[in-house]
Amino acid sequence: MMGNFAARFPTDRRYTPNHMWLGAQGTAMRFGLSAYAIRLLREIYFLEWSVDAGATVRQKDEIGAVESSKAVAALYAPADGTITRFNADALADPSAINKDGYGAGWLFEMTGNANDAMEPAEYLRYLETSWTKAQALLKGQAA
Amino acid sequence: MSLLTVLLFQSPDRAPRRLALEESILAVLAQEPDIAVAAMPPLYDLTDSNADLASLRALTDPLAALAWLYPRAIHWTLHQRGIKGRVGKTQLDRGGESASPKDQTPKDAADAPARMIWSLDLRDGDTAAMHVAEIQRILQEVRTTEPRSLASPPIQNPKSRIQNPPPSRWYPVIDFARCNHCMECIDFCLFGVYGVDDDAHLVVESPDNCKPGCPACSRVCPENAIFFPMHRAPSIAGAPGAGPDARKLDLSELFGAPAAVQLADDERNAALAGAGKETKPKDDLDKLMDALDDAKL
Repeated sequence: MMGNFAARFPTDRRYTPNHMWLGAQGTAMRFGLSAYAIRLLREIYFLEWSVDAGATVRQKDEIGAVESSKAVAALYAPADGTITRFNADALADPSAINKDGYGAGWLFEMTGNANDAMEPAEYLRYLETSWTKAQALLKGQAA
Repeated sequence: MSLLTVLLFQSPDRAPRRLALEESILAVLAQEPDIAVAAMPPLYDLTDSNADLASLRALTDPLAALAWLYPRAIHWTLHQRGIKGRVGKTQLDRGGESASPKDQTPKDAADAPARMIWSLDLRDGDTAAMHVAEIQRILQEVRTTEPRSLASPPIQNPKSRIQNPPPSRWYPVIDFARCNHCMECIDFCLFGVYGVDDDAHLVVESPDNCKPGCPACSRVCPENAIFFPMHRAPSIAGAPGAGPDARKLDLSELFGAPAAVQLADDERNAALAGAGKETKPKDDLDKLMDALDDAKL
C-alpha cells in the first residue's frame, strides 16, 4: 500500500472512514488527519473552518477545507455531535499538521458518537480495499 | 493616444494586500503613454446596466484584462457580457494552458471579433512588477502586430478607487470553446437559469435566477464547460486544465464528500429547499425518464 514507505498509524487511537484519527480528550474526542491523509495532501499550507466552536454538526456536514502544495479538499464532520474546540495553533500555522499530525497538529475536539470509527488494524484493511478507489481518484484528476 | 486598453477589475473583497497590488499596478501603467488603463468594479459582479460595459462592447481594439479570477473565467465572463475577442496567450499563467482556444469551434471563432483579449489572473504574480512586465510584453506584441492607435480610450479613470463595489452575484459562466450545446444543464437546472437562442445554442438566460452557492450544473456538465468563478474548488472556478483542475487535485471525496453526481443532486435539492419549493420523491414518470436516459437511445 502506498509504495514502500511505511506510514505510521499509532495504536492508541481509532480511525474514521474519512481518514481522521480520534482519541479521548477529557469528555470529548480529539480529531486529526491520519498519516494516510497527510501523505496524500503533502505540505498543508491553508486550513479554514466554516463552522464555529460550539456548532452542532451531523456526520458528513462540510465543516472546513484544507489546501496543500498539490491538492485542495473539503473537510467533513466525522460524526454527529458538537464541535467544542478548534486547534488554534494548527489554524494559525497548518504546517503543524505535517510536522506532528498525531500530536500538536490535531484539528478539533467534539462530543458525540463516532460509531463507525475503526481500530487501527481494521483501518489498515480499509485502506487496502479503498486504495484502488483512491488511485482512480488521483489518476482521473491528474491526467 | 494609446495602443492597448488595460482593464483592472478590482477584488470583491477589500483585502489590504490585494488593494495594494491593484494600486501599484494602476500607478505604473498610468505612466505608460501607449496604454489606456482603467480601474473597474469586480468583473463577475458587474451587471449589464454598467455604463462602462456599453463602451467596452463597442471597442474593437486589443484589450488586456486583469482580475482576481482564473484567466478562463475572465475571458468567458467578459464574453458573457458581450465583450468578445480571441484568446491572447499570456506567460504568467502558472497552469500553462490559458483560456484554451485550440478546441474553439468554427461557430464560436466566427462569432468572436478578430481583436485579442489577454486575461491575467492577479493571483498569478505576487508583485506588481510581474504583472506590469507581462503587460509590457503584450504591448510589445501589439506594437509589432497591430500598431494602430486607438481613436479614443473608452474609459479613463486610472486612479479612481471604486468606493462601493456592486452587490455580489452568483451565476454560471459558459466556456463556449468547450460547450457542445448538449443541454444537460437545461435539463438539470430547476430554476430556469439556462435558455436556448434562435440558433439552438445554449445561453445563460436568467443568471440571477441561480441559487447562490449552488454549483450543481457544473458537476453534471460532460464537457466541464460550466464554471462558477467564485467557487472554492478550482475545478469549478474555471482553473486551467482539461478536466478538473490540472494544478491541484480535489481530494474532497477521500474526506467524505459524496461523488459528483450525488453531490450535484444534493446541491440542487438544497437550493430547491432554500427556494421554498418542495423536493418530491421520484414518481413513475421520473423513473421512466431515468430508464430512458440509462438506455442511451
